[in-house]
Amino acid sequence: MIKVFRERWQRWVNRRVPRSDSQSFNQKNIFILPTGAGVVFGILLLVMLITGINYQNSLIYLTTFLLGALFVGAMHQTHRNLSGLRLTVTQPGEGFAGDEVPYRFRASAGNGPTIAIRLSCEDSTLAPFHIPAGQAKDVSLPVPSAHRGYLRPDMVRIETRFPFGLLKAWSWIRPVSPAIIFPRPVAAPDAGSTVEDGDEDSAQRTTPGNDNADLRPWREGDLSQRVMWKRYARTGQMVVADWEGEQGNPQWLDFYAFAGADNELRLSYLAWQVLERAKASTPFGLNLPGQVIEPDQGPAHVTRCLRALAVWGEEPPRDAIAAEHGTRRHEAPREKEAAA
Amino acid sequence: MKLTQAFSLGRETVEPANALPSNALLWLIGSFAILLAPQWDRLPIWLVAACGILAVWRWLAQEGRVRLPGRWLRTGIMLVLIAVYVATVQGRFTVDTAASFFVLAVGLKWLETRSTRDFYVLFFILVYLAGVNFLFQQNILWSLVNFLAVALLLVGLQVLNAPDLPSDMPSGWRRLGGLLLKTLPVVVLLFVFFPRMAPLWSVPLVSGEARSGISDTMRPGDISNLAQSSERAFRATFGGEIPAYRDRYWRGLVLDYLDGETWRQGREEGFRRPGRIAMDGGVGPLGGSEYDVLMEPTDQRWAFALEGSSAVSDNVVEEGDDLFRFRRPADSTMRYRLSLDESSGAGAAELSNAERRRFLQLPSSGNPRARELAEELSRQLSDEGIVDELLTRFREQEYFYTLRPPAMPEDGIDALLFDQKRGFCAHYAGATTFVLRSAGIPARVVVGYQGGDSGAGGEYLIVRQYDAHAWVEVWLDGQGWVRIDPTVAISPARIESGLRDAMAEEGSFLEDEVLSPQKYGDMALVQWASLQLDRINYQWQRWVVGYQGQSQMDLMSRLPGGIGLRELGYLTAGIVGAGLLIAGLFSALQLRRGERRDDFQKVLLSWHRACESAGVPVRQGETPNALADRLAQARPSVTETARRFARMVNSHYYKPSSESDDQELRRMRRLLGTMKRQLREASQRRQPHTESGPAS
Repeated sequence: MIKVFRERWQRWVNRRVPRSDSQSFNQKNIFILPTGAGVVFGILLLVMLITGINYQNSLIYLTTFLLGALFVGAMHQTHRNLSGLRLTVTQPGEGFAGDEVPYRFRASAGNGPTIAIRLSCEDSTLAPFHIPAGQAKDVSLPVPSAHRGYLRPDMVRIETRFPFGLLKAWSWIRPVSPAIIFPRPVAAPDAGSTVEDGDEDSAQRTTPGNDNADLRPWREGDLSQRVMWKRYARTGQMVVADWEGEQGNPQWLDFYAFAGADNELRLSYLAWQVLERAKASTPFGLNLPGQVIEPDQGPAHVTRCLRALAVWGEEPPRDAIAAEHGTRRHEAPREKEAAA
Repeated sequence: MKLTQAFSLGRETVEPANALPSNALLWLIGSFAILLAPQWDRLPIWLVAACGILAVWRWLAQEGRVRLPGRWLRTGIMLVLIAVYVATVQGRFTVDTAASFFVLAVGLKWLETRSTRDFYVLFFILVYLAGVNFLFQQNILWSLVNFLAVALLLVGLQVLNAPDLPSDMPSGWRRLGGLLLKTLPVVVLLFVFFPRMAPLWSVPLVSGEARSGISDTMRPGDISNLAQSSERAFRATFGGEIPAYRDRYWRGLVLDYLDGETWRQGREEGFRRPGRIAMDGGVGPLGGSEYDVLMEPTDQRWAFALEGSSAVSDNVVEEGDDLFRFRRPADSTMRYRLSLDESSGAGAAELSNAERRRFLQLPSSGNPRARELAEELSRQLSDEGIVDELLTRFREQEYFYTLRPPAMPEDGIDALLFDQKRGFCAHYAGATTFVLRSAGIPARVVVGYQGGDSGAGGEYLIVRQYDAHAWVEVWLDGQGWVRIDPTVAISPARIESGLRDAMAEEGSFLEDEVLSPQKYGDMALVQWASLQLDRINYQWQRWVVGYQGQSQMDLMSRLPGGIGLRELGYLTAGIVGAGLLIAGLFSALQLRRGERRDDFQKVLLSWHRACESAGVPVRQGETPNALADRLAQARPSVTETARRFARMVNSHYYKPSSESDDQELRRMRRLLGTMKRQLREASQRRQPHTESGPAS
C-alpha cells in the first residue's frame, strides 16, 4: 500500500521535475511544508491562543496573531527563496569508486536573492550558500559513488529553510549527465616473475578467456616467445599475442594479464597500473577488449585511459529523454541527433 | 574506527559548544535578558542572578573560554536550583510561581543548548515566556519591550538559518520589518474580528503576591504608608460632569470590627472559587450619570465606587453595605461601569438588632479616656449633637494632620485624642468611630480613596495610591448612614485639593519616591509628560488590552449587519483565507514580473519550434544567423523574414536597444507571426512531399 503510494508520488514528482541538466524552480516544482520545528510552533500558537482565551488577555491574542501571520509570511519568503532559481549541471564529476565525486552545478538566482540554499544527494550535504539577486554561483556537491561506471544521482535535492527554519521549501534536479566513476585502484599482483617462464605461459593460455586475446603486430622489443610463429608460417606476418602484454611489454597494460581475476578486479588492477605509470610518467598503452588506446603519456592520456576503464562494458544511463516544456515527444530524438 | 571511538571513551560524546552560530546565540541571550525585565519585581533575586550566570556561562563556553558542564555537574546545578526554588515557593502554586519556574527552566536550558534542536526548544520557551509576561504587565511600555524581545528571537532564528549572510543582503531586521509590514493588515483585522470567546475553563489567579493598595485591615499606620506611593489605583471616566473634588469619595470596603488596635471586616468574605475571567466592563458610550472605572490589578474582589452608585456592567455585583465586588479577584486590569443616582437616600430603613450590635462592637477594655469622653457627651447631647461636637473638637483644638505621626503604642486612641493630637486619616477615622460607638451610636470605618486628579486633556480622573483615605459613616435615625470625615475638620486642604497641598508645609509628600513625576507637581513639563504617557496608556488599556468580548460586540453592533459571535468566526476564516489568497497572488505576480525578461526566450523557443516543424532541426549552440540561413535553404520563401528576425534577436542580445523592451518584443512577435504564416503557406504547397508533424 505504502509502496504503491510512494511509487505514485514518485511518478508525480518525476512529471514535475523532468530529467534535465538544467532546472529552474517555480510554483510547479517547489514543495513546501513545515519542518518539525514548524509543527511545534503551530502547537505553541494554539497553546498561546488558549492561554489568551482563558485569561482574556488581548495582548496574548495579539502576539499569537502576529506570530501566525509571520509564519504565513515566512511561507512566502521561503518559497520565494527558491523560486526563480536555476540550477545547471556544469560538470558531472569524475573520481574513483568509493570516493565522493564532485558534481559541479551553477546556481543562478532570479530577481530576488537566494539565501541559505542547501544541496544534498543521499547522505552528502553541502553547507548552505547564498546568491545575491541576479548573480550566479558555482558549487560542487560530492556524490558518493559505490562502483565504477556511470553514476547519475537520481535526485539531487535543493532545500531552503530560510528565514525562520519553521518551513522548508524543496525541489529536485534530476541530472541527465552522468558522472564517470573510475574503477577503484587495486595493487596488481606483481606478475613480473612469470614472464620468463614459457611453461607458465602455456599453462595460462589454457585458462578460459584467453581465447579472445588481442593480437597485434610485432614491435621492436617483443619477446620471441610471444610471436605466434604458426601464424607467421601461414601468413608471413609477425603477430604477437598480447594476453600478457604487461609482462611482455611494459608499455602495454593488458586486460588479459591477470589470469583468474574477474573482470572488475582486472579493471581495478589496470586502474592501479595506469596510476603507477602516470606517477612514473612512463608512456603506456591500454588494451581492453573492444578498445585499444595507443601508448602515450600525460594527464589527458591518463584520464582517457581511466575513463575507458570506467565505462568498459557499461551502457550510458538513459531513460525517457527530457523534453523541454512544450516540445512534442516525437521531435526529441531528432534533437538528440542534432546534438550528436 | 568510529566503533573504537565509541567504545574507548564510554562517555557521552560532547558536542562542541560552538556548534551553534555565536551571533544567533547572542540574539537569544539578549532576548532572554529583555524578557526578564518586565518581571523584575516579582522574580526572586537569586533566580535572576542564577539565570544571568547560566546565560553568561553558556556565552563564555561559546567563546571557548570555559567548558560547558558535564552531565554530573549539570544535574547537580539543576538539583540545587530546583531545591532553592522549592524552598522559596513553599508549596504555593500560583501562576506567579509557575512563571518563575518557567524562567528557571529557561535558565537551566542554557547549559544544554548545543544543537539546533535545543535552540528551537529555547526559542519556543522564550516565545511563551513573552506570552506569560503579558499576564503580569499590560501597559504599553512593557508590551513594547515584550514585542521587542520576540523580534530579537525572530532575528536570532534568521541568523541561525543563515549565519554567514553577506552584508549586502537585507539584514534580519529589515526582512522582519518587511514581513511585519506586509502582515500587519491581516494582524489588525484578526485582532478586531477574531471572536472573543468566553474562557474555556477557569484558570488560577495570576498572582499570589501582595500588591500595594488598600488592605482589608486597618492599623493606625497603614494608610500613611500607602500615602507614600504614587502608583495608580484606578482611572475613572465620567459620562456627565465630573464630581467636585470634595465629593470624590471612592468607597472600597467597610471595616466594622475593632480588634485591639486593628479594624477589620466583621463579616468574613466568603471564599469563592475564582470564576472564569469576565472582562465585560460595559458596552457603548457612557450615559450621563454613568462612569467607567479602569482599575489596576489588586488581586482583591473590591471594586471602588462613589457613594450612591449602582452596577451597570455584569462583572461587578452589589453586596451588602453599598459595596461592590468583582466576581473574581482582579488579577489583571479591570474595567467596570457604574451609574450614580443622586436621589438614593437609603436612610428610610431601620437597623436590625443584629446590625446594631455589629456596628456598636468594641473591645471590652482599653482607651478609658475616650470612653469617658463618649459617656460625657452622650449624657448631654443627642446623636447628631455628639457628631457635631466631635467634629468641632477636631476643628478647634490643636489637632494636626501629618504623615509622620508619633508612635502611640498603648491606648492609641486616647493618646491621639488627648496627648499627641497628631495623626493621619486612619487614626482620626478609627478614633471617631470608637468614640461614637462608645456613645452608643452605630458607626463604621470606610476605607477607599478620596480625590483624583485629571488626566491629560481632562478626559478622566487618575486616582493614585496616595489618595487612599479612611473616613467614618454614622447611623443617624431618620437619615440612615451619614458620612462624616474628621479629616475635613482637621485639614480641609486634603479633601478640597488633595494630599500634596495638605502636606505642603510638612514637605512629606512622596518623601521616598524620588523618581515619581507626581512629586514634582510644580514642574510643568514633567507633569505634562507624565500625564501624556498616562493618556497613551489609558487609551492602550481601553482599546487594545481591554478589547474583549463585550467591547468587541459593541464595536460590531455599530457596524452594519448584525454580526454575532458566529459571524465573527466566519469573518475571521474569511480574513485568513483572503489574506492567504492575496499574499499568494501578490507573490505570483512578483514572480511573473521576474519572468518578464524570459518573454524573449519564449519567442525564441517558438521560433525554434517553427523551424523544427519546417524540418530544420535546431542545433545546439547555433547562432540565430546560422539557423536563419539553414531555414532559408530549406524554405527559400521565408529567407528575408528569417534573416530579419535573426538580426533582431542578435540586436536584442548584443546591442543596447533604443526601443523599450515591450516595443521590441511586439515587433519580434509580429515578425514571427509573418514567418510562421509564410512557412505554412510554403508547406501547403509542398504538402505531398513532406509530412512535418501533426501540428503544422
